[in-house]
Amino acid sequence: MPDNKNIYKPIRARLNDVIEESPSIKTFVLIPEDKFSFKTGQFIELSVDGIGEAPFTPSSSPLITEKLEVTVMKTGYVTEYMHMLKPGVFMGIRGPYGSGYPVETFFGKEVLILGGGCGLAPIRSLLYTLESIKEKLEKVILCYGSKTPSDCIYKPLFDRLNNTEKFEAYRTVDKADEEWNGAVGVATMLLNNIKINIKNSVAVVCGPPVMMKFGTIRLLEMGYRDDQIYLSMEKNMSCGLGKCGHCMMGEYFVCRDGPVFTYKEIKHNPEIWK
Amino acid sequence: MLYKCIKKEEWDKTIEQLLLSYSIFACIKNDYGLDYELIKPSDIAKISYNKPKPATPLKSFFLPVRENVTSERVKEKPRIIIGMPNCDIEGLRLLDEIYLDDEFNDEFYRKRRERTLLLSSDCFSIQEHCHCLSYKIKPYSESLADLAVNNLNGTIVLRVLSAKGEDFIKEISAFLSPADNNFIQAIEKEHLSATNLLENLNTGLPDCKMTGELIKDSKSEIWERYSSRCVSCGACTTICPTCTCFLLIDKPGFEKVKQMDACQYPGFERVAGGEDALFELHNRFRNRYMCKYNWRPEKFSSTACTGCGRCIEACIGKINKNELFMELVNNR
Repeated sequence: MPDNKNIYKPIRARLNDVIEESPSIKTFVLIPEDKFSFKTGQFIELSVDGIGEAPFTPSSSPLITEKLEVTVMKTGYVTEYMHMLKPGVFMGIRGPYGSGYPVETFFGKEVLILGGGCGLAPIRSLLYTLESIKEKLEKVILCYGSKTPSDCIYKPLFDRLNNTEKFEAYRTVDKADEEWNGAVGVATMLLNNIKINIKNSVAVVCGPPVMMKFGTIRLLEMGYRDDQIYLSMEKNMSCGLGKCGHCMMGEYFVCRDGPVFTYKEIKHNPEIWK
Repeated sequence: MLYKCIKKEEWDKTIEQLLLSYSIFACIKNDYGLDYELIKPSDIAKISYNKPKPATPLKSFFLPVRENVTSERVKEKPRIIIGMPNCDIEGLRLLDEIYLDDEFNDEFYRKRRERTLLLSSDCFSIQEHCHCLSYKIKPYSESLADLAVNNLNGTIVLRVLSAKGEDFIKEISAFLSPADNNFIQAIEKEHLSATNLLENLNTGLPDCKMTGELIKDSKSEIWERYSSRCVSCGACTTICPTCTCFLLIDKPGFEKVKQMDACQYPGFERVAGGEDALFELHNRFRNRYMCKYNWRPEKFSSTACTGCGRCIEACIGKINKNELFMELVNNR
């Protein structure tokens, strides 16, 4: 039976803190006024009062329900306003929407995560989840690329993961600066040096469209099957309810049928990389 | 199917009575053609029956162009809509699937549906671009509407189509008599005649499924050619009984205004980073037909084009989708 809840009305959330992650990326720490929880990989519509809203996958752990962290890159109209916000104001949240990562199907497997740029935000939430169930996993490898060393977000995350049993984390940058002594090149390059049992593995890709495309191609070359690759698709999701049509990708509403798809589910659509 | 009769004068008086408790919209011929109008007693005699088709699609009664979907609404009067053709009624099927789903039920749409009585009217004639039958939709309603109202030379013959319609005729039962076979046969004759006209007009036009396949297999040249006359005005989506895309606009106080949108407008799919899958005009143009004939049919069980032909009539670039589809058939 449908209830009488208004599906368009956001709940209010107090902006408790703003963390500067990189020159163009900030994390907003929010305290929702009503009960709010999500599954890793699901997204929310976050709004600036009277300005607009945009879809984001929370970057915090889904196990922590009293607060919510959303990492936002300044890249458009709404996000520019978000970056001007100071702690104390209220933002609006609708959701959570979509299907999220099917973490149960990762049990007993080696999980390879390929991320780029701000795509590390949803991945961080996934990593928190995987850390909480690490006894059920064989191994987790993170390969992450950012444009420059200063564009890399959550820098402490990498050391923490490398000191966590079963976890490995690697970084690369497109363009090094004077202090950088790590790998230089695109994120897929990191895949050349990892040790993974592909047969018993799943791969998760989240990043800018160009990385999603070439990441998927590289994973297929390595021997991953199309149903072992999970892609987090980015579309202009306006309602989040599978109604407004903005996020249609072929027969799918990305907001409701995704945003996480296996490559197998969507590869028949030639427009997925656009 | 249950038929009832009422003298036209009695029917008009009944509508006058109903105006006391309902807002009534009906098909009226105005200077520009046929359209729905909110009627007053002096309009009752002007109501048009059995003619296709009002300029405005039925969806506009349930999906306003713009509405605040977060503020509380003043209770509105129940409504009766008279005279919609079956292509519009069938369009509601898809809207119901989208807006009345169990998980995300749109209460604004639902309340409007619940408080609206749908009195459709069978098409006894057709228009130049009517092609409902090609998509397996009949020119007369057999379900989803509450009643079908037909005017046979001074006698109104009502066909009862729903429980709501049955309750409604109980309200006016004093004036009703059972329809004798002559009336029923006369209506069936009209159905047959409209059906024949549609068949003759649309010979060779592929059905929805085949159209979908033709579109899928087509080369971009034909879309570039036809879309060269498209100015992205969105008229085709605005008057389409099944185009439902919208945008949510934020207003102070975390209010949301839902405004009808169209995949034909530039930037419809643009994301914040600038990527836009529908940047090119011919892609946007093709997108609408991929949606109607392939994607929606995969996702929903209702037909996503009901063959009303309004998009052909409304196009200021004179783009005729059926000419395009016939070309696809002929080039196969």
